[in-house]
Amino acid sequence: MRGIPTALITVGPEASRQMRPPRAMYPKGFKVGNSLGKPGQRELQKKVLRDALLMLTEPARPGQVVEREYPEYES
Amino acid sequence: MSSLSRKCVPFTPFERDLAKSRVVLVTAAGVHRRDQEPFNIADDLGDLSFRIVNGDAVNADLMVTHHHYDHSDADRDINCVFPLELLRELQTEGFIGEVAKEHVGYMGYTMQLKKMYDEIAPQMAEYVDKKCKADVVVLTGG
Repeated sequence: MRGIPTALITVGPEASRQMRPPRAMYPKGFKVGNSLGKPGQRELQKKVLRDALLMLTEPARPGQVVEREYPEYES
Repeated sequence: MSSLSRKCVPFTPFERDLAKSRVVLVTAAGVHRRDQEPFNIADDLGDLSFRIVNGDAVNADLMVTHHHYDHSDADRDINCVFPLELLRELQTEGFIGEVAKEHVGYMGYTMQLKKMYDEIAPQMAEYVDKKCKADVVVLTGG
């Protein structure tokens, strides 16, 4: 079987780090159940999704969980 | 110190253009269609089955069955954990090539880790590869 490129959005960075995922991001401060943002935060949710996809084209940090800041989450 | 996986990082290079890629969502957040059998939350060992969600499913078609995280926000707006609708917008905008015709939901809680790792996860990967024909997979948890 061929490999499939993946990008993980995690809100459990400690647990995810143990698995050493190939590409992973943690939207900092997002609680469990809010992987993409809160209900109705459509633009933010889309931004997080877009950023997750952009990990595919950015320099890779395999095995790391990259923290990203989204201050609008708390607004 | 936390224990890091000793398995090699399963890194697959991405050599395509996002704007020409077919994207599949795989979520451990317990998402499935309302007309599908819910995950079995009565079994203390967890439910290892997975559900296939069509790429044109609308939010009202979808629900969450999971008892190991608070999914009240996702109940109000499934995009919180499963942004299929937003992925379709990214296709319309040309940011990605295509939303795959099928996506995968499972309940990311199990006490049967070996079976998940050795049997179920490879089944899901096979499905995502052969049936969904994924160029890229976006993974979400709860």
